[in-house]
Amino acid sequence: MTKPFNRLVDQVPPSGIRRFFDLVVGAQDVISLGVGEPDFMTPWAIREDAIYSLEHGRVTYTENGGLLACRQAVSTYLSDFFHAHYDPHTQIVMTIGVSEGVDLVLRSLLNPGNEVIIPEPAYVCYGPLVQLAGGRPVPINTQSSGFIPTVAAIEAAITPATTAIILCSPSNPTGRSIPKERQAALLDLAKRHDLWVISDEVYAALSYDTPPVSMGSFSSYQDRVIVLNGFSKAFSMTGWRLGYVCGPPELIKRVIKIHQYCALCAPTVSQYAAIEGLKHAHKEVEKMRVSYLKRRNLVVHALQDMGLPTLVPEGAFYVFPSIEPTGLDAETFALQLLEKEKVAVVPGTAFGLGGDGHIRCCYATDMSQLTEAMARMARFVKGVMS
Amino acid sequence: MTTSLDHRILDILRHHARSTIQEIADQLNESVERVSQSIHQLERNGIILQYATIIDDSKLTRRKPPIRALIEVKVRPERRTGFDAVAARIAKFPNVVDHYLISGSYDFLVMVEGDSLEDISRFVSGKLATIEHVLSTATHFIMKKYKEKGAIVGPQDGDPRLMITP
Repeated sequence: MTKPFNRLVDQVPPSGIRRFFDLVVGAQDVISLGVGEPDFMTPWAIREDAIYSLEHGRVTYTENGGLLACRQAVSTYLSDFFHAHYDPHTQIVMTIGVSEGVDLVLRSLLNPGNEVIIPEPAYVCYGPLVQLAGGRPVPINTQSSGFIPTVAAIEAAITPATTAIILCSPSNPTGRSIPKERQAALLDLAKRHDLWVISDEVYAALSYDTPPVSMGSFSSYQDRVIVLNGFSKAFSMTGWRLGYVCGPPELIKRVIKIHQYCALCAPTVSQYAAIEGLKHAHKEVEKMRVSYLKRRNLVVHALQDMGLPTLVPEGAFYVFPSIEPTGLDAETFALQLLEKEKVAVVPGTAFGLGGDGHIRCCYATDMSQLTEAMARMARFVKGVMS
Repeated sequence: MTTSLDHRILDILRHHARSTIQEIADQLNESVERVSQSIHQLERNGIILQYATIIDDSKLTRRKPPIRALIEVKVRPERRTGFDAVAARIAKFPNVVDHYLISGSYDFLVMVEGDSLEDISRFVSGKLATIEHVLSTATHFIMKKYKEKGAIVGPQDGDPRLMITP
């Protein structure tokens, strides 16, 4: 075949995390702090309900936007836990994980050459999906502001082509949350420049120090805020591939239009299971949250004791320490730690600008493994620094 | 009077009895001194009774695993002390490992441990059933353990997650 492939696809750089993955897979007896998903199994009540729905033959397509019962349950959940109010009929669509939601939203919003501001380090899909939608990602480096985007930094990146800002709070990979006042200021900025705010809140339910504040709860900005959330993290349902997009009806119509052609509907079994989760799994979710909180504290203490400057992450299950005191760059640190002590972490550079000099450690790993991993890392850091 | 710190410590110790004081303090963002003091107090006040281990005896090879039986006991309560005086007599036997007063068609549920079926039968007929206020007993030998104190017995699935994911 001599025909060229799609130019946009070829322009997307290969994933930085993929390269590291190949290295780790070959290694033996590794404790991995490199995963991006919970260590808990989906709560049994949810799995059991999915089995029940299979037994009863609920295996057909659902409406394009998702089962109404599922959207209603999402609406109630968002209103009860986040004070964000969305009409299940016109403002919510169930998607194949949050990732599909990001893709659908970007394809609905962007015209060729439109710019999307992405505070980095950030989750790896935003930039490439902007590119694939024909837009131009505009990353901004948040390292100097503790990985929380400032109004000034975002404003400086705004051009006439800017269409949207993507925010993720609590953040993968840093675990940092944008405080409420900053959220309000960012929304105000978006309003002044007539921008969309795409808010990835998949980790919101895993907030530790203060209750999470959804961008969807600021009612006077509802016409420009798009909330993305899902079941992967808080409900430990990564493989079920279920998320949702909430936003103004004019946007949701377009999101459903793309979704109906490229996906038809989100997985049916997952939608039934999610209803059970939204209605009855809150105690389980809270148990998991408390468990992550203890592990966060343990890991932050351990990293600080090693002499690695570590900002306390307010949410998610990642911690993003600086490894600058070791004098190693992020990739070298991660590679040597893997070789010498068999602990896998992800170099911060895999998450874009501002990830240099940092590593992402996921603490969703059982306590004894975590303690062992911290002991090994401490030995490694001590060796490098002496 | 227990404090919120006491409860947060107990939440950890309930499932991870071997956690060190340093680990508990780190997890709770508390000082080692406060945690240590609280645990000491909980032990002294008889709130922490014991640090025990949950064991899957069926995997042991050098010794025969102990036999266990659940025994339903009907009792005539005593005039002034009710069930407690009878219970105290039963609970003192070292082979009684759990002992509850319960609602329903009988009064006590007693878990007894022994080296053999005979061992347990001897205990029930010789000791338990002959206590003055015990009216009747029904013994159920335990054939297999599936779960104990929240721990599932048997092979556990490994971690199915990929080593590195975004």
